[in-house]
Amino acid sequence: MGSDGVKPLVPSLDVGTAPVRRRRKWITYLAIAGPGIIAANAGNDAGGIITYASAGSQYQYRTLFFMVLVTVGLVVVQEMCARLGTYTGKGLAALIREEFSLRLASFALFFLVVANVGLVVSEFAGIGAALQLLGVTRYLSIPIAAMAIWALVMFGSYRYAERLFLVLSLVFLTYPISAFLGHPDWKMVASQTLLPHMIASKDFILLGVALIGTTITPYMQLYVAAAVADKGLGPDEYRFERVDTVGGAIIGDVISWFIIVATGAAIGKSKLALTSARDAAQALRPVAGSSSVDLFAVGLLGASMLAGAVVPLSTAYAVSEALGVERSVSRSFAEAPLFLTLFSGQILIGAVVALVPGNLVNLLISTQELNGIITPIILIFILILANRRSLLGDAANGPVFRVVATASVVGVSAMAAIVIVQTVLGWFGVG
Amino acid sequence: MPQRPRLIANPTRPLRSARRQRRSRLLAVRSVRDSLLSLAGLVGSPVRNQDGDHIGRVTDVVARWGGEEPYPAVTGLVVKIGGRRAFASMDQVASVGRDGVTLGSARFDLMEFARRDGEVLLGQDVLDHQLVDVDGVQVIRPADLYLAMIPGPDGSILRLVGVDVSGQTLLRRLGPKRWRGLPTPERVIDWATIRPFGSEVPSVRLRSSHDELRRLRPGELADLLEDLGRDARQELLASLEPGKAADALEEMDPEELEALLRETPPEDAAALIARMEPDEAVDALRDLEDEARRELLDHMDPAQRERLSDLLDFEQDQAGGFMTTNLVTAPPDQTVAEVRDRLRSQQDHAGDLDGVVVVGGTGELLGDVPLYALAIASEHSRIGSLLPEGDAVSVPAEAGITEVAERLIECRHSSVVVVDENNLPVGRILADDLLDALLPERGRHHFPRFLS
Repeated sequence: MGSDGVKPLVPSLDVGTAPVRRRRKWITYLAIAGPGIIAANAGNDAGGIITYASAGSQYQYRTLFFMVLVTVGLVVVQEMCARLGTYTGKGLAALIREEFSLRLASFALFFLVVANVGLVVSEFAGIGAALQLLGVTRYLSIPIAAMAIWALVMFGSYRYAERLFLVLSLVFLTYPISAFLGHPDWKMVASQTLLPHMIASKDFILLGVALIGTTITPYMQLYVAAAVADKGLGPDEYRFERVDTVGGAIIGDVISWFIIVATGAAIGKSKLALTSARDAAQALRPVAGSSSVDLFAVGLLGASMLAGAVVPLSTAYAVSEALGVERSVSRSFAEAPLFLTLFSGQILIGAVVALVPGNLVNLLISTQELNGIITPIILIFILILANRRSLLGDAANGPVFRVVATASVVGVSAMAAIVIVQTVLGWFGVG
Repeated sequence: MPQRPRLIANPTRPLRSARRQRRSRLLAVRSVRDSLLSLAGLVGSPVRNQDGDHIGRVTDVVARWGGEEPYPAVTGLVVKIGGRRAFASMDQVASVGRDGVTLGSARFDLMEFARRDGEVLLGQDVLDHQLVDVDGVQVIRPADLYLAMIPGPDGSILRLVGVDVSGQTLLRRLGPKRWRGLPTPERVIDWATIRPFGSEVPSVRLRSSHDELRRLRPGELADLLEDLGRDARQELLASLEPGKAADALEEMDPEELEALLRETPPEDAAALIARMEPDEAVDALRDLEDEARRELLDHMDPAQRERLSDLLDFEQDQAGGFMTTNLVTAPPDQTVAEVRDRLRSQQDHAGDLDGVVVVGGTGELLGDVPLYALAIASEHSRIGSLLPEGDAVSVPAEAGITEVAERLIECRHSSVVVVDENNLPVGRILADDLLDALLPERGRHHFPRFLS
């Protein structure tokens, strides 16, 4: 599977408009690849790539060990979600509505929506950044892209465009190759990956939260539970599904790891914060030479356009599911007003926020930080659900798993808490 | 509000009557509201003893369902008293109102709550869970449940009467506590039209009569099957007659159908597929993975398996891949009356029958008699005499979509017969099958959960 997370999304849209009787080989392939692998790779979207590139640029290889910890967290979380989907046959939003009080459920759902709107903003920022590299101003490219995505989805021809975006985003598969060709200091890479160490600086922790937010995304948790339930996978097939989920999480993170290594080797020596997508593109120079910027731009555009449609759809879907109203996009607005309002609203907000003057790379990273702060909230809900014997029976978390999962959630929450405290202290001029 | 007539000479009278109507409507709403008790409000409300001392809080309401009663009776309350969850049966309860519950007997036995057969916890098992509204043909999630005292032979009994599905009610539950008990019956569905499929409650027998379900059209059932969660839809499927279930499956979105077949036990899934129209069954099988398909085929009887396997051998865009194998064939010397009798026995496949295929001694195709010709012919004439002039138009089973379309236009007919290499008729392609094959899928866009 590719480096680009957005791939998953592919089949999603396929559903509606497919000529039913046409043979769809590559989709069959993706279906076999499974929800787990697809979901985990969704972490490597526009926000992901920029955040990993930023880590490589500012700290070279020093965040690599952090990716190991994040991977453990990702595996644990995705496994719980896949288990919830398999054993209950329901999506995460529906489970939260059924199992928690309405107040808690709306609390969770609210943050889910906020996190996803943040992601949509980042996708549009990605589109703007990509087209800026190709010489188009974002004040032109973002509105056009927003209208294009909206129209493609509403009028049902998204499926074809989606394939194009998917192919474009395959560009990011070149990162591992680039990492090898870039001759990083492998000894240092290895020691930074294996030996834990923290840098007690504010920026480092903030970047850590962004890395968590872009890797363990609430959106992916929604996705994996829903996709598993939707495929009709039951407890009998859970053993295979677990391999898929755990394997997917690891593969997705290995690719993220390569992005950091490739960027670290290319521009990490200066230890400067990443400020432009043009700098991030330098990581592909070993593969693409002078056309690395164009290559990077094309990949970023594909990844952003793909996720720019799918993230709002998944949010609209989750909210509709939790409210128990028509969940499918029908042709007419009258039949699914909530769904379509949610979908259109997110695109609008995403595009407008991405148009606010300022540095797009910073905006991209900020949205991932936002995701990182919200992630622990959703994780706590997932952990409680997966602990419940009344819901999962014998498939509920066992004592050992419970300790590991709780530790992961506590770790992620602690990071987010530090960032929040620092930010609040910052408002008062302390710290 | 009633529409006010325009351009009237004396505006006061209609205005006054409009006001009066509005007032009476408000009064009606208020009286309904006063007689309803909100479950969301009841849960968490105080429990008092006869002397008015506060002794605990309501945590849930127990109702019994099943049997023939359309409105489930409340059998008791789960009450939290000093950290313990106890059960108070309705005969220990003196009154249930918006301001709380008063117990009747001075002594109250603390009984642990243990679920009895057919009992549900309305708050835990029903509120916020998926239900099927048979009247509106939709899957709903109740925002609130309404209880009311219903007079009966044994005095008034508190019963579950309605389901509230409005968004306003959700907001009311999110708001301050004093709002929570106030019924807002704006969009309420009569409980009698609700079917609680997939309820997590063990051993709940559904109302035995499924008349309402029988009334639903296959397309409506398909919508319900698509929207329900896994356990619920399995239960709904099991409650349908096999023929009806198969009809509903034919109407389902292919992706949803694939998931449904995967989660259904193979022997049941095989039985359902066997009852579907052959072309739809083949479509459904084609969407499955090899292993799952083989498993389903293994569970069918040999004749059925062979028939479907033969069809599966064709590519999806070949004539054989989207034809129906439901054919009525007749030798040319059969009388119209005999043929009509045979057609009468094929009612189930009425949609696929567009003509009668006339075959020669070795079963070879002689021609296709349209139903119209058959309808106006006299009873005693031989069917062979009704054959259209000229050579019979047919397509080989390996033909592609374009060729089928050309032949269909050529024969000026709404369907065309498919033959094998020996000119034996094997199926029929109707114009709508061709449309299906040519057009992108119509109907609802599902953005289901993204993945096929």
